Amino acid sequence: MTGLLRSTWYSLGRLVRAFVRTPFWILIYSIQPLIWLLLFTQIFQSITVLPGFSTSSYVQFFAPGLIVTLAVFNSNFSGMQIIQDINFGVFEKMLVTPVDRYGLILGSLLYVAVIGIAQIVIVLGVSFVMGAHVATGVGGVLLTFVIVSLLTIGIAGLITALALRVKRAEPLIFVTNLITLPLIFLSGALIPASLTPSWVQTAMKFNPVNYAVLAVRPLFLTGYDWTASAQALIVCGALAFVAIVIATLAARRFGD
Amino acid sequence: MKQIVETRNLTKKYNGKSAVGNVSIDIGEGEIFGLLGPNGAGKSTMIRMLVTLTRPTSGSVLVAGYDVVKEARMVREIIGYSQQEAGVGEDSTGRTYLTLFGHFYGLDGQTIRRRVDEMLALLELTDAADRLTGTYSGGMRKRLEIAAALINKPKLLVLDEPTLGLDIQTRARLWDHIRALNSDGMSILLTTHYLEEADKLCNRVAIIDYGRIVAMGTPNALKGEIHGDVVSLTLPPEELDQREKTFEKVKQLLSDQPLVRDVQPTNDGLNVYVDQRGAAVPLILHVVEDAGVIIEDLNLSRASLDDVFIKYTGRTMREERGQALGAKKMMMSGG
Repeated sequence: MTGLLRSTWYSLGRLVRAFVRTPFWILIYSIQPLIWLLLFTQIFQSITVLPGFSTSSYVQFFAPGLIVTLAVFNSNFSGMQIIQDINFGVFEKMLVTPVDRYGLILGSLLYVAVIGIAQIVIVLGVSFVMGAHVATGVGGVLLTFVIVSLLTIGIAGLITALALRVKRAEPLIFVTNLITLPLIFLSGALIPASLTPSWVQTAMKFNPVNYAVLAVRPLFLTGYDWTASAQALIVCGALAFVAIVIATLAARRFGD
Repeated sequence: MKQIVETRNLTKKYNGKSAVGNVSIDIGEGEIFGLLGPNGAGKSTMIRMLVTLTRPTSGSVLVAGYDVVKEARMVREIIGYSQQEAGVGEDSTGRTYLTLFGHFYGLDGQTIRRRVDEMLALLELTDAADRLTGTYSGGMRKRLEIAAALINKPKLLVLDEPTLGLDIQTRARLWDHIRALNSDGMSILLTTHYLEEADKLCNRVAIIDYGRIVAMGTPNALKGEIHGDVVSLTLPPEELDQREKTFEKVKQLLSDQPLVRDVQPTNDGLNVYVDQRGAAVPLILHVVEDAGVIIEDLNLSRASLDDVFIKYTGRTMREERGQALGAKKMMMSGG
């Protein structure tokens, strides 16, 4: 167990240190959510007059959706980190050490989650300025962190497993491009589910992203929805668990 | 002598094709053992099985008595591995990089600081320790990568093409480092396609071609199998088209001569192995001229490991390497 914790810690620390050392990335990762927040809230301002919207402010409606959307984009990008490690030969170099394989993978997935949380903090800060508020306060924000992190680890884990199989950027980019928008549109992130056709609503039931949205939105708009939160924790938690196992398996089979 | 590496019928197949076939070698503790062969011969595949990166299709490898599949973790604790393409990123300092590997080996903070300083000093990187690795030269990256492979004081250091792409001076310095580590008792296994490297650095060499060991022994013993000197004849390009015919003809004529021990075809002509080169050269020229064969160039040399390679494979390693490097460059620029 100590081996697992150690390995996780140093695997995470390696990536965080490299990130912090590159001001360019900090800038990009800070600006990206702001641009989205401004564009979406401006362009979709009048959409809230539609009957399905429970709030008259799109910022209020969109902020939770944006948080989940960012998590999806972030997770998809995680594969590139692995590809870079593979290309530099660093990944194999680490595999030859006795580092715990679960820790190695878990650390890199937690890194994506940590970046995601930093982005959420930025979104929240700006959303507050723009007039949004979180109905459930600090508790709700922390619960949001947990749910979004589990979702991030889940998607990033599957992407990582794929990256370790294909070992090249091109097929990885193709797959992530293919799945990103469907994952977001087949959730209630941008628009309430009640405004979508029934087949979309059915598809949403199989999309973990949607569970995260359904759980986070009430935390922001109305108050604790324990059923939605529990469902999100179970679905995203299960996804994260499976993804970690698959990604670790892919790491073990990497050299074969 | 205790064995640090024992392989038995080691085989690796990719899609049914053997990259390594039925290799059985023993490497003793304290040896510098070299795997010599052209690119694509299966050296790296062998090494990768040995360092637990790739699982064998069949056969076994023991490192210091531990099975690389069943006891992979134990093997990882006691080996250091320096890979062919430098395993160094660009976004950490040399010191951070080495420290990270110290942690991956589970060493405590104090030991790590001491070992990192020692390794930086040993590989002459102390001055560059706190610079980003992105600013390092190729030779520095290679040394840093080797330093990381040494951080756990391995019993066996495995080096895959340690001097590939390094300039001559850097290569010589690296040889010195490798010898120094070895004289401290570390066993070393390296792959190379530089004949000189295998010759000068290794106690024992296995020549590997198409995944099989074709010859094994000390460099001197291997060279001893090739008698005396080598007279290399280069044929002009037009003659190369009918090389086989020319070869047969000349071989026939030369084989009857008393001083000639052997004749082997090469990529651009013939190698004639002789006893007394002073007397043999005029004789060869005479015979060749009588046969109506035109020679573009003639070279005299002592038998080298390349001649051993030619003896067992019928090809020179240099040509193979040139082609392989060309292909690699194309791959790199293409990807």
